[in-house]
Amino acid sequence: MRLLAFSWSHRSGDAAAREALASVPVERVLAELKSRGVSEAAAVSTCNRFELYAAGTPAAPPDAEAVLAALTELSGFPVSAGAARREGAEAVSHLFSVAAGLDSIVVGETEILGQVKSGYEAAKAAGLTGKRLNVLFQRALYVGKKVRSETAVAAGSYSVPSVAVQMAESIFGDLRGRSALVLGAGAMAELAAKHLVGRGVARLSVANRTWERAYQLAARFSGEAVRWEDFPAQLETADVVIASTGAPTAVVTREMVERASRARGGRSLFFIDIAMPRDVEESVHQLDNAYLYRLEDLEAIVAKNMEGRAGAMAAARAIVAEKAAEFEAWAESLSTGRERSLKHSEAGR
Amino acid sequence: MGPTAPTWGAFLLYAAATFAAFGYLWSKDARASRAMLVLLALGVLLHLAGFGLLLSLFWSYPENRWYLPITSFHGALSFIGLALAVAFLAVESSHRLGVLGAFVLPLVALATGAAVTWTEPTLAPLDERLRSYWLNIHPVLLMTAYAVMANGFGVGLALLLQERQIKSRKPSELCYRLPSLDELDRLLGNIVAFALPVLVLGLAVGMVWSHHAWGRVWSWEPKQTLGALTALVYGAYLWLRVARGQRGAKAVYLSMAGFACVLLTLFGAELFSGRHGYLGGAR
Repeated sequence: MRLLAFSWSHRSGDAAAREALASVPVERVLAELKSRGVSEAAAVSTCNRFELYAAGTPAAPPDAEAVLAALTELSGFPVSAGAARREGAEAVSHLFSVAAGLDSIVVGETEILGQVKSGYEAAKAAGLTGKRLNVLFQRALYVGKKVRSETAVAAGSYSVPSVAVQMAESIFGDLRGRSALVLGAGAMAELAAKHLVGRGVARLSVANRTWERAYQLAARFSGEAVRWEDFPAQLETADVVIASTGAPTAVVTREMVERASRARGGRSLFFIDIAMPRDVEESVHQLDNAYLYRLEDLEAIVAKNMEGRAGAMAAARAIVAEKAAEFEAWAESLSTGRERSLKHSEAGR
Repeated sequence: MGPTAPTWGAFLLYAAATFAAFGYLWSKDARASRAMLVLLALGVLLHLAGFGLLLSLFWSYPENRWYLPITSFHGALSFIGLALAVAFLAVESSHRLGVLGAFVLPLVALATGAAVTWTEPTLAPLDERLRSYWLNIHPVLLMTAYAVMANGFGVGLALLLQERQIKSRKPSELCYRLPSLDELDRLLGNIVAFALPVLVLGLAVGMVWSHHAWGRVWSWEPKQTLGALTALVYGAYLWLRVARGQRGAKAVYLSMAGFACVLLTLFGAELFSGRHGYLGGAR
């Protein structure tokens, strides 16, 4: 099998070519390639990456010039200069790395797996996948899942907001349908709120001493602005409370939380206090079903995750390399006529 | 090869499944979780075969025909081990929380292991007083309830660990591997809500049997009293949960007190003896 890959990503640095390519619908790219005689091809297009894979046989290798000419014409941009070109084994392990999220800006992010999948499905729908590309992409999806389930690459969170979300998920599980209360309307509060909403938090209330700013922040997340005097009542219904006001003393007291907890029916309440000085009284953490994480707690977890990251990355790369070698051996066996089983090597190790 | 050979095999498979469960907790390698399920399922099959073999030997005494051989300590422990494993598989199939294996499977291995290593099946005619169809209902209901409660104990243990992880503010890998607090809490609540009615039904059936056999519904006999206490403790847990919203660590401690009552009921009767002693249960 002959495999050819062109990538335009955040690594290659040329944003103009990437943007030009991203504006072309994948279906049009595939149709154009087909009309130029490319028999097997698939494209993965995201907001910060464009990848094109073309496959052929040793007798009829994929035509790199035709591919680049087609892309240049469609995008109206001389894309060949900024393209990273990979062939054979290198292209295979690149696709596996991409699917595993190792090539992403946020390493381990899971969205890319879905994007690789839809790229593959588009190619399949266009009739541009033969046995080789079919197996290649199915293996890529398998490797992507395997890396995420067997290494800590995806589990490790490397920023304060993502660690806060991770702890919230350790308490509540799925965050979909949960509600959050934001105290204060600063940049940190907004960032944390964005992460929570991104994980499916359904109801967001914002309370701030200045009503205007509460209203503006709430509007950005289609949330609800709450009068500052009314926030203690919100403690009865909220699941997650993000506190980042500029108040000189604690605004959430133990009594407040105790009073609210009577109406809560034992549901857990998670406080994220990123304010300096503190917004939530430390003794709140001692209450049943109440958990208070301060900025320094979250930062300590980030630091710990960073330490473990190198090991996780090495483990992930090892999986990618192993599976790429396996795929190569399989692709090799196609031309000898005695096809090796991929399943077998998967179960045997 | 003795009559307990298949049960021995089941015990070894359960022990292997327990190791696989710990392996999964340690490595989060999905293969370990799959191995655990396969080993456990094979163990259950072998255990069923062992139970069948015992049954056929037990029924070779015509007077024992159709009664279950669960009056001996061996029969009871072995049945509980089997019920525990099946209950775990049922919980697992609906919740897919493989890590819980590390908390429940040790109990499966322990119950079955105890049955094969320090008890022997009673292969003799059944005590005349026990020859009643109630024998197939009363203890089976109770042991099923105990097995489900034991699963609840495992879930409660996981919940306590997770709660400690989160309260510590320094979560380790374990925190990310365990299910979330809410998930564990819901599961524990569901387990008790399922097992308690079974337990109460088992006790009620026992009262009916007692009425038939001795003309008395209640006799303050140790095992009976402990059984009622178990139901009370779990009832208190459920009531506090539903009416008062009592959750988290304190609720878990209460459910564990309930499980302590289960263990006392199960093993204590041997100490106190009496009507419920495992009659003829050879050690």
